Amino acid sequence: MTTNATTRPLAGRLIVEVGGSVPVAAAAKLFSDYGADVVKVEVPGGAPLRRIGPFPGDVPGLELGAFHVALDTGKRSLTLDVETPSGFEVFQRLCETADLVLMHQAPELARDLRDSLRALEHPPHVVALTEHGLDGPYAGRPENGTSLFAWTGRMRQHSLPDEEPLRYAPYVPEMQWGATAAAVANACLWSSEHGGGPREVEVSAVEAMTGNVDTWFINWEFQGAEWPRSVGQSRAAYPAGCYECSDGYVVFASANPPFFNRLCEAIGRPELATDERFLSPAEKALHFDEFFAILDPWLRARTRDEVFTYLQSYGVMVAPVLDVSEVVTDRQAVARGSFVEHALPSGGSTLLAGPPFRLDDAWRHDLAPRVGEHTDEVLRDLGYSTTERLALFRAGVTG
Amino acid sequence: MMTSTLLKGLRVVELCEVWAGPMAGSLLGDLGADVIKVESFPRNSMTRPLATVQPWPGEGPAFERSPIHHLSNRNKRNVALNLRSEGGEEAMRRLLAETDVFFEGYSAGTVEGLGFGWEVAREINPRLIYLSLPGWGAKGPYQGYVTLGSGLDAAAGHTIVRGYPDHPVEDTQPIFHSDATGALAVVFAVVTALRQRELTGEGAFVDISQIEILNWHLPALVADWAVNGRRTERVGNADPLIVPHGCYRAAGGEAGEESWVFIAAEDDRQWSALAGALGHPEWATRGHPWATIQGRIAHRDEIDRALAEFVGAGTAEEIADRISNAGAIASPVIAPWSLLANPQHQSRNWLQYVDHPYVGTQVFPGFLWSVQPDAASWDRPTGLVGECNREVLAGLGFTEAEIEDLYAQGAVGDRYG
Repeated sequence: MTTNATTRPLAGRLIVEVGGSVPVAAAAKLFSDYGADVVKVEVPGGAPLRRIGPFPGDVPGLELGAFHVALDTGKRSLTLDVETPSGFEVFQRLCETADLVLMHQAPELARDLRDSLRALEHPPHVVALTEHGLDGPYAGRPENGTSLFAWTGRMRQHSLPDEEPLRYAPYVPEMQWGATAAAVANACLWSSEHGGGPREVEVSAVEAMTGNVDTWFINWEFQGAEWPRSVGQSRAAYPAGCYECSDGYVVFASANPPFFNRLCEAIGRPELATDERFLSPAEKALHFDEFFAILDPWLRARTRDEVFTYLQSYGVMVAPVLDVSEVVTDRQAVARGSFVEHALPSGGSTLLAGPPFRLDDAWRHDLAPRVGEHTDEVLRDLGYSTTERLALFRAGVTG
Repeated sequence: MMTSTLLKGLRVVELCEVWAGPMAGSLLGDLGADVIKVESFPRNSMTRPLATVQPWPGEGPAFERSPIHHLSNRNKRNVALNLRSEGGEEAMRRLLAETDVFFEGYSAGTVEGLGFGWEVAREINPRLIYLSLPGWGAKGPYQGYVTLGSGLDAAAGHTIVRGYPDHPVEDTQPIFHSDATGALAVVFAVVTALRQRELTGEGAFVDISQIEILNWHLPALVADWAVNGRRTERVGNADPLIVPHGCYRAAGGEAGEESWVFIAAEDDRQWSALAGALGHPEWATRGHPWATIQGRIAHRDEIDRALAEFVGAGTAEEIADRISNAGAIASPVIAPWSLLANPQHQSRNWLQYVDHPYVGTQVFPGFLWSVQPDAASWDRPTGLVGECNREVLAGLGFTEAEIEDLYAQGAVGDRYG
């Protein structure tokens, strides 16, 4: 996809990304994909997210990890040790020209960087991604995506009684955290483009995930009792959950009118919609087995795709349970180009998710940079002399 | 504390139900936009049942007291319009004429059917940013299909990888993660599209597919298939490359009988911290079979057993604190009520205590971000059905007599049933 760079909506904005993690890279990717110039500041040796697979053929490499390939698209890479005074000076000079700095560092370093940027003549917006916040008793706790998920209450909800609580897919929490940071950061940019001053923002992972939906604290708060954890197929409000067809599964969310009524009609049993056994929530909870005895053979006589398309023609909330090989070849995904082929630096290609939203031709997926690919270019643009650039490289401050 | 001014001066009209769209509306309100929610009328919104399903707090209409509705409807003004009536249609036309952004979350084609598709809306307001966010997107063969987040989770390939490895697919719980990710994407898309409008001087249509957003959040799944031909299998909490990485049951804790601790040591340094916290520093000394990454992978089961025994002798919070203070990863798997006791949330005053005419004072999870100097504030609790009808309609130029007429015709309303 090609488009005139100057007309893309975020063209002309300089975003600095520092920290090298999945969430901060995810946050910055949204900006680079829609036209911003994102400089990814990496520690010598490369950002930690480059070490996260999968890798083609399971051969690790800093340029081939799935998260780097997917999340660093269209960025420039500056290798810089910001914890040295020399590197710190480069960082400050870079940020002086930036509109926005997205950072994910340990709280002490994050506070230090933020405070130093505050002192600049033209301070950028600073959005700090933190696990628990920059202050407070848990600020320094080491965490990863799963431990953060455990702090939100969502992990307990995602468990069967007396079984180990389960995470979602790996890195789902980090991605949500990053997308949260991108949302508020974009609003900051908008504000300063319309006369507002620079903002200092914290996006705590626990707060970002606990404050959003797909959470159930509010039900406990309102009802004084825990929201009943789903056991997969609900036996009270049904059909909801996964049901087997002749060649796979579908998931239903059609327990209530009008969806339940439509389902009854679609399977040729419209009278069930007014059957007293299935009308009131209290009665319905007593008669799961009877309904299952009707629905189950109907489903097993049909393929997953038949069930999906036929029931959707009646407006029933039902969807196929797909594995990834089916996801990328799904009719809708193919028709929309939901996945795009993306070249790998080793040759060959991979697949990336396409635009998260379609706005004319504003979205693009340029290649992710090699470690330090743009170090020299960025330093030249900042006015560093040849001697300075060589000296910084010689001392391992840049790479 | 002052109200956020990040999106001050922008007007947003939301025509959405359930979670993804309404949460986006609240987030835009948190950022300072003037968000007007157009509530379904006379049919009650999906999250506003006519009778209480559970014992909800307060008294009064059930449709004002549903917790899942309250979760995602702060910081907006509520108007309830019957879009199938002449008066409701006229009110909607005027709203669209005077707004910067309109977004709708119905299945593809529904809003066109009501007479407010993009082609009509752009005639009304050529500078309108119009976002459609059906589950599978505005265009494509699944146009018109209906779903909740649980269906998108399944069709995106997430459901099949997140169940218990030793359980049948039927036991995998429906989740609604795509509602959370969808809400965030709408906020980013709104601001980006507004910027596009400044470049072109014209409005724009934004096609948002909630399943494509969820795909965006799962890059490793598709990469492993694309480059290795592998379909990720259900791995539970175990990480093939990190030992330990799992939940261990505690003797008790704030979560009660089902108290668990998640523990991980991602490298030798964290392992050494963990071993020290467990009173076995020798497990991390050179020569011990567990001291290396290679050794821990080879001895996963024994390490899991040792951790299970240790965790089983204490409470979840004590154990997590002890391990975390030493420098390894450990967190209690919290139950809802633990949010209130969480010293971090208390220290940051994160939880919000909100008054509402029908449900009284309730505690809500706080904002997704903290912004200085203009932090978000909970300026408006969940709007009552049609609460702002008169104010908004008057702002659109309807006279008092005309507004009375709209009520009399059933074009607007302020209660269901």
